[in-house]
Amino acid sequence: MADFAILFDSSKCTACRGCQVACKTWNNLPSPIEKNAGEFTGSLQNPPDLNSQTRLIISFSEKKSETQRYKVDWAFGRRSCMHCYNPACVAVCPSDCLRVDDETGFVVFQSELCTGCQYCNSACPYDVPRYKGKDVTGANIIMDKCDACLSRLRNGRTPACVHTCQPEALKYGPRDEMVAYANKRVEELKAKGYDKARTYGIDELDGAHVIHVLKYGIDQYMLPEDPKVSPLVESMDFMKPLTAVGAAALVAGLGLSFLTGVGYKRDRMYYDEQKHDVMDADTDELIKHIDKEAGER
Amino acid sequence: MANNTQKYPYRAIQRHSLQTRVTHGIVAISCIWLMISGLFIFVPALAYAVGGEVTHFFRVSHRVVGAIFCLAPIISAITAPKGFKAFWAKYFTKWTKEDFEWMKKFVPYMLAPKRIHMPDQDEVKSGQRFADGMMILGGILMGVSGLVLWLGTSVFQASAGALLVMRFCHDIFFLIMVIFAAAHIYLGAGIFQPYRGTISLMWGNGQVKESDALYHWGFWAREEIEKGKNVVMLDDKKE
Repeated sequence: MADFAILFDSSKCTACRGCQVACKTWNNLPSPIEKNAGEFTGSLQNPPDLNSQTRLIISFSEKKSETQRYKVDWAFGRRSCMHCYNPACVAVCPSDCLRVDDETGFVVFQSELCTGCQYCNSACPYDVPRYKGKDVTGANIIMDKCDACLSRLRNGRTPACVHTCQPEALKYGPRDEMVAYANKRVEELKAKGYDKARTYGIDELDGAHVIHVLKYGIDQYMLPEDPKVSPLVESMDFMKPLTAVGAAALVAGLGLSFLTGVGYKRDRMYYDEQKHDVMDADTDELIKHIDKEAGER
Repeated sequence: MANNTQKYPYRAIQRHSLQTRVTHGIVAISCIWLMISGLFIFVPALAYAVGGEVTHFFRVSHRVVGAIFCLAPIISAITAPKGFKAFWAKYFTKWTKEDFEWMKKFVPYMLAPKRIHMPDQDEVKSGQRFADGMMILGGILMGVSGLVLWLGTSVFQASAGALLVMRFCHDIFFLIMVIFAAAHIYLGAGIFQPYRGTISLMWGNGQVKESDALYHWGFWAREEIEKGKNVVMLDDKKE
């Protein structure tokens, strides 16, 4: 499998959010345009989180700093699908809607196969998948998340967010090249005094196809420091074969039982409630007497 | 061979009421439908085979029929509290030595019914109490987990952990329900030859022929015949 990655260098990001717009434009995901449609949160982060029409957001975080020139650490982060190496969403998806693309390694999906079960969100350690068409019948729920613009990749282009990024905070290429670049950038940032600079996505959960260069401490980005996948995610792996084996064993057992019962016949029984005798109505023979005085029933 | 219908007239015992049979019928058909429609979500190859629209239909029907599966027994219990109490008492009763003996002999009997003879039983066999109990427990847990998976992703937002636990529960009890439902149908529908005729208990008039009642539930059959209240005389042609 070819192995590609998207790299996000937070130290180069200017938070113009051209990537958000490009993502929406390419993937036909409109934003509400009514006046005051967005809720005021006191942050430039808009919308506040991923939603059914937003696959990517730039996060904002301000923190007081004693070391920096402007006495503030203003961190711009990228929140979207991490495209894990061993994606939990794919492991739990019962309908094969989600899958790993063999040519790139990105986690892609086929909307028409989505059953709306929402297992993928419950399994995702990054809380990424979102859903369109939520209603009480559950009939029209369709999952949506970043697919790394697979249609663009297939045609030799980079993802829309990468393509539009003016300061080149976003890059796309073979994963090993992106990893080497990220490590180099972290070294440069540390040399400039950014002690908490680090990479993210290289080793977390066996690695991901989105690599971050974080300029400040990880607490300033919407990324879990130690992402974990629930052990229940793996249950689907053994439940399906277990059910298949169980069903096969049952059919075999009942089949054998049926064969041993073929030709079974018994005489008609009759109970004489006066004498408390169970009689064979065909042969007129006594089968057994119920001794009521002895406490028999 | 004697066949003295004068001396040994054909009789039956009314075992199940119409409400019991209707409730059982609704739950049984719902359960089978839920298993089939659930398979199209559980096994992607089946969804591929029938295409998107059919899978979508199964998906929606799983929720609608799931609601019927949950509501039918609840409504039945509310409208017939005495019957529900009697049902409860039959299932949660102290096991006799015959009950334990029946359980011990069950597997050998299923593989050699012509040689192995089972002990007399009360109204509900010990094996029935165990198997039906598992199906009732499974049905309740499937219903609860299904409702959380359904409503927790539409009406309210259940936590990720709760959804994962409910999904695991739904998977485990699907397997248990498949096993017990298949065994239940095998015996209850009389596919197993010694059980021929038992299908009419739930899918017919709710009556069991005297001879079959004596064979399956000896203690109960004799008690019912002695009381006479639920005994029905049959004409010869019915036998």
